Amino acid sequence: MSTTAETAPLALGRRRMRVDGWRWTGRIFLAFMLLYTAVPMIWMLITSIKSGFAAMQFPPQWWPDEPTLASYEKLLDPQNSVGQDFLRFFWNSLFVSTVTTILSVIVAVPAAYAFSRFSFPGRNFLFFAVLLRNMFPAVIFLVPLFILMRLLGLMNTHGSLILTYLTFGLPLAIWLLKGFYDNIPVQLEQAARIDGATRFQAFILIVMPLSTPGIIATAIYSFIGAWNEYIYAYTFLTKNDQLTLPVGIQRFFSENTTDFPGLMAASFMMSVPVVVLFLVLQRYFVRALTEGAVKH
Amino acid sequence: MTIVTGKAEARRRLQSGRPGVLRQIWEHRADYAYVLPAIAVMLIVIAYPIYYTIELSFFKTPPGLQLRDKTFIGLDNYTTILTSEVFWRVTWNTLIWTLGSTLIAFVLGFATALALHREFVGRGVLRAILIIPWVISAVAASYIWKWIYHSDFGIIGAVLVGLGLADRPPNFIDSVNTVLPSLIVVNIWREFPFAMIMMMAGLQTVPEQLLRAAQVDGASAWQRFWHVTFPHLRNVSTVTILLLAVANFNSFIIPWIMTGGGPSNASHIWITHIYELAFGRQRWGVASAYSVLLFLTLMTLGYFYVRALSGNERQEGSA
Repeated sequence: MSTTAETAPLALGRRRMRVDGWRWTGRIFLAFMLLYTAVPMIWMLITSIKSGFAAMQFPPQWWPDEPTLASYEKLLDPQNSVGQDFLRFFWNSLFVSTVTTILSVIVAVPAAYAFSRFSFPGRNFLFFAVLLRNMFPAVIFLVPLFILMRLLGLMNTHGSLILTYLTFGLPLAIWLLKGFYDNIPVQLEQAARIDGATRFQAFILIVMPLSTPGIIATAIYSFIGAWNEYIYAYTFLTKNDQLTLPVGIQRFFSENTTDFPGLMAASFMMSVPVVVLFLVLQRYFVRALTEGAVKH
Repeated sequence: MTIVTGKAEARRRLQSGRPGVLRQIWEHRADYAYVLPAIAVMLIVIAYPIYYTIELSFFKTPPGLQLRDKTFIGLDNYTTILTSEVFWRVTWNTLIWTLGSTLIAFVLGFATALALHREFVGRGVLRAILIIPWVISAVAASYIWKWIYHSDFGIIGAVLVGLGLADRPPNFIDSVNTVLPSLIVVNIWREFPFAMIMMMAGLQTVPEQLLRAAQVDGASAWQRFWHVTFPHLRNVSTVTILLLAVANFNSFIIPWIMTGGGPSNASHIWITHIYELAFGRQRWGVASAYSVLLFLTLMTLGYFYVRALSGNERQEGSA
């Protein structure tokens, strides 16, 4: 009796200590990850507000003596050639990504719905065939697609990119959306059908609104994928006025190799749209992964 | 769930004397309309390229893509590849790159997810910051890190010199020995957030009552993790690791932009090497044969991928 009374608080104390140990390990680890993640981004920002001369110093100026927004002004000024190019690339990226996003939602929604609801012969085969697309690297498709695009007369057009981006966005989009549809009770649709709605009406009026988070997640995914894509754009586009941002920036800075402030400013501005989009809508994305990918 | 019932149905149909696939297809014809757009796009952009790559791999092709002049040479392209020294070097690099990036990114992502699982002030902000590298373009990431690794003005070199750990800034990406690990660090920087999101989503499915019950029974934090949390996450972990492995095996941008495969092939991986063979040296036939080898490797990985995915479905069906 007396022994248990003695050991109980002791064990409790030890347990609390051990729990605290884990908590501190977690905190230190998180601090380390925060450093790892944030330092490169902070250094990008700091470099982007230096002058070209200030960036090329050793030891580096941890904070620029004379912070300047010159790099940003140069990139955003439609009057000079650098700014003209940058704004054009920006617009091209925006156009390609937006069209890709809209199309992939239009194509993925019915496909995912069918994979979730109907059982037609070859359904499983088709579903996995779609998923398998994720397995193959861009390079495998590059040579034949290059030839195909020449055949279709799509070289140097944004159409070639949109068509290609569509296919690599689709598999995950369909997979995510299918998870959403699996979670929407069929009874809801059946009730609508009994009330006289056609299958299509039930789909538009009942299922679509319920799967909005999934559609938003799909859209973010497609947009970010298209915005950041490099290898096809690098191969299919050769004319300067067609380039998208990643390729445009690379082309530009392979000529101006020492303009690191400009490069960092361009990298920063290229990242802003997708980061903002993602941060605003990340709730949906994480939820889609939870409902689509993890439970299924 | 649905897959299981689909299979069961199919089996039932088989037993009850098969009403004819064609008739089934006809009865379900309207269903195909929903999938058709997706399949059509896939066929144009996937099936045709795969076929064409396989065909080209048996041909010798003149440069400049005058593909009418190609000549059939059987398996010569394959023997050229498998006997070249570069191939083995590049394969070794690919192996280190894929395994290193995947495992470290997964472990870091998982650990971060666990550390973020507990509620604390600023958790949402911290999570958002940690996800950012995954969202920004790999091109931007490559340039940012190239600048960080810069052999004269790089910040890491400056810190090392400042702390007295090095006499002069080290050459991270211009030296044969350090280039691959340095690139892997960049790759992990971009990828661990993905593992983190997936594992965070997975952690939410671990039943809270079970953890509490284990705690009441006196299980330590480590025991609770190992016997309760971890088994629940096995499926998510498999899917995450496979997705990461495939993405890493297929990565291109980081090595291509940061080093272009150099110095002396030390950072070439399969994909960058194939790209250079095709679009740099215009050896389309060899590049295609390479792609076919890649394809076969990926099919093997793909087998496990599909099995892991359908494994999830099966388990859900039985639950």
